[in-house]
Amino acid sequence: MPRRRTLNPLTELLGAVLLVVLVLVVNRWEFSLAVLLLVVVPAVLVSGQPRRIGVAIVLVAGPLLLSSVLLHGLFFPEGRVVLLDLGPARVTQEGLVFAALMGLRMSVFTGVLLTTAMTLDLPDLIATMTHRGWNRKLVFIIGSALGLLPHVALRARQITRAQQARGLVVGRGPLSRLRALLMVTTPLVIGLLVDASERNHMLEARGFSSSGPRTSYLPDTDTAAQRTGRRVATVAVLLFAAAWLVIGAVA
Amino acid sequence: MITVRSESFTYDDGVPLLSGVQLAVGAGEYVVVAGASGSGKTTLARLLAGLVGSDAGCRFRGSITLAGETVRFDGSPADPRIDRAAWSAAVAFVSQGAWGQLSMMSATVAEEIAFGPSNRGVPTEELRRSVHDVAASLRLTSLLGRDPRRLSGGQLQRTIIAAAVVQRPRVLVLDEPFHGLDEDSAAEVAAALDALRGAGTAVVVCDAMLPRSGPADARVLALAEGHPVFSGLLTEARWAGLRRYGIGTAGDPPGLPDGLGSRTGGLGSHPDDGEPTDHAGVRPQDSPTGAGAATPSPVVLTDVGFHHPTGAGESAPTSDTRSDSDTGPAGAGLSGITLTVRAGEIVAVRGPNGSGKTTLLQHLNGLHRADTGTVSVLGQQIRRQPTGTFAGDVGYLFQDTDQQLFERTVLREVAYGPLAAGVRRSEALRRAADALDVVGLGFVRELHPYELGFVQRRLVALASIIATGSTVWVLDEPTGGLDESARTGLARLLRRHARSGGAVVMATHDAAFATAVAHRTIWLDGGRLVPDDPGTDGRMDGRTVEAEPADRRRGLGWGHGRTAGEAQDSQDGRS
Repeated sequence: MPRRRTLNPLTELLGAVLLVVLVLVVNRWEFSLAVLLLVVVPAVLVSGQPRRIGVAIVLVAGPLLLSSVLLHGLFFPEGRVVLLDLGPARVTQEGLVFAALMGLRMSVFTGVLLTTAMTLDLPDLIATMTHRGWNRKLVFIIGSALGLLPHVALRARQITRAQQARGLVVGRGPLSRLRALLMVTTPLVIGLLVDASERNHMLEARGFSSSGPRTSYLPDTDTAAQRTGRRVATVAVLLFAAAWLVIGAVA
Repeated sequence: MITVRSESFTYDDGVPLLSGVQLAVGAGEYVVVAGASGSGKTTLARLLAGLVGSDAGCRFRGSITLAGETVRFDGSPADPRIDRAAWSAAVAFVSQGAWGQLSMMSATVAEEIAFGPSNRGVPTEELRRSVHDVAASLRLTSLLGRDPRRLSGGQLQRTIIAAAVVQRPRVLVLDEPFHGLDEDSAAEVAAALDALRGAGTAVVVCDAMLPRSGPADARVLALAEGHPVFSGLLTEARWAGLRRYGIGTAGDPPGLPDGLGSRTGGLGSHPDDGEPTDHAGVRPQDSPTGAGAATPSPVVLTDVGFHHPTGAGESAPTSDTRSDSDTGPAGAGLSGITLTVRAGEIVAVRGPNGSGKTTLLQHLNGLHRADTGTVSVLGQQIRRQPTGTFAGDVGYLFQDTDQQLFERTVLREVAYGPLAAGVRRSEALRRAADALDVVGLGFVRELHPYELGFVQRRLVALASIIATGSTVWVLDEPTGGLDESARTGLARLLRRHARSGGAVVMATHDAAFATAVAHRTIWLDGGRLVPDDPGTDGRMDGRTVEAEPADRRRGLGWGHGRTAGEAQDSQDGRS
């Protein structure tokens, strides 16, 4: 069941970014763990697509965690308590602790950002940016890039099928797959470029280069309270971050 | 209202297009600019749309008059630049290639239609009102909440037209708006154009063929290789002998000679023939494959059932989403399909959109695998072999050719099939060159496939099937977007392939083509075979193969209009 929206997507997005900033600045495992357990996990669970988001988080964070464990767990120069000596590599307690801390932080980042990105109401976000008077080119780049992604993926699949029908045998080996990937690129890119050139004419014809503010077909879901909230939150996080860093440096 | 006078129009290599062409369009008029591939009709459409000077490497001498104001061009860098945003408020343009005309940032049809006015800062309330007005007049209201990237061909085309005319322009110019649409979708678009005309908008349609029907006062400007060859009423144009310029009438049968029995060559240049194939008048069931009576039927489907996997709407593997056909969640699976195609037989597969035509076709080369039942091609049952391994036996022409082409030159492109089938390189190149000669494209061997016009690219894809020497040809909407000469050439080619013992299965909306070329037609609806469509007549079920005068020295009649002009026209990416 998809969650009911109470916040404007711009507010959600800003919230996620500020949370990441806080985790970075505070840099304490207790805080990271609290964010993970109290924010990320509940957010994923009520997202309406916990499985999909969970898989995405594992796919992105998994390799990062693994490399962190390998790197810091085996090679941590400051490590003193040696748990296992493997010659050139030493598993140290400090290394493992450091790896766990880094891993926790990375999990929080991926969790926060992926959950936000995968549940974002894109049209609403674009409409809000337009209503707020953001630069129209920036809005278009964000909107069309995200809008194009599924189209590009679909087209790539269709091209691969067409090429298989021409005699391209895609094996299971990495080389064969790489070759297939390269062969998809030419028609895919040329097709996108032809479309882009046509789209360029279309944009001109539909007055995209007009000056003055754009309007949006979708109503403005943003509220004055949220706008104030966003400003206050941004200022508060920045002030807190500055104070935290200063105090940390002094202490 | 708008008048274009073109003294000359040249792209950078200097072949003149549109010499002495004049076109004036008045309020509420319906004008058809007809011309074969390379005739300059797209160039004229783009001139009307004010797309001049903005394309690098073209020089236009002439003038365009819009609402009493004349802009003069001398082909010099000092020529005026047209403000496209202002121009499009009076002259809207819908070019080919629907995807390039979607903004790709609109999640709904309504937002897509609103894209233009919202760029101009029209307030939200007024925006919503004009979107609803234009949607009502084009019967799009029920689609306003749909994702424009997931529409059928006709719906998409109407959405793009709506987006172009939401500003209420006085002229609407469309370049091949019916391309790739089935009859129902084309009728939807035609009705939309009628509605606009009723409101006083002049409509200019550029097309390779004359329309089968049109308003009584519709006018035609026919172009051939950049020159006007006819100007007058549509009713007169049909009798003006425009076929000699490669301009046929939509829905007419291909211009095959009626005579039977001249049997001088068959598909002589078919690389796999080895010897002249001379089977005129042979019944399909006689299996003239040269391998004796024991040869199995090339295609045998037994009680085939198939369901698209869930989520197939997203992957939509069946075909090109921009065209009509069996895409998306609406695309049917198959149920209880039993079909045998004999050597020498041409079978047309027909049925409404989403009836499973493409899905059926893609079972013949392993792009889809049957859930139940069996599919055998040339005696080999399709099980779990990789799709690519069937390419030598089954040549497949996709609805969207451009997905198929990927090599650097036309020759390499056509040679890819035989190379993949294990033929030596020199032999593959020889076959490719021969195949290109068969389709009349021998002179563009070294060009990049994307330098060619649409029709030529389609013929390149066809040549690659010929070069591979596949016995079974599976063609998805083979006549879509072809001009008269290419369509006729295709008809001849199919007949020759059948006569040489090959088998052809083609999904088509082109009733006249199916009637003229296929030996029988099977009808699909909802993924099942249904009895013959009562609405058609004159099909040739079970009829013997007819032979046509086959003069291989004359080629296949593809010589027409293939000048540098076609490559020129295609510099716009289309022709």
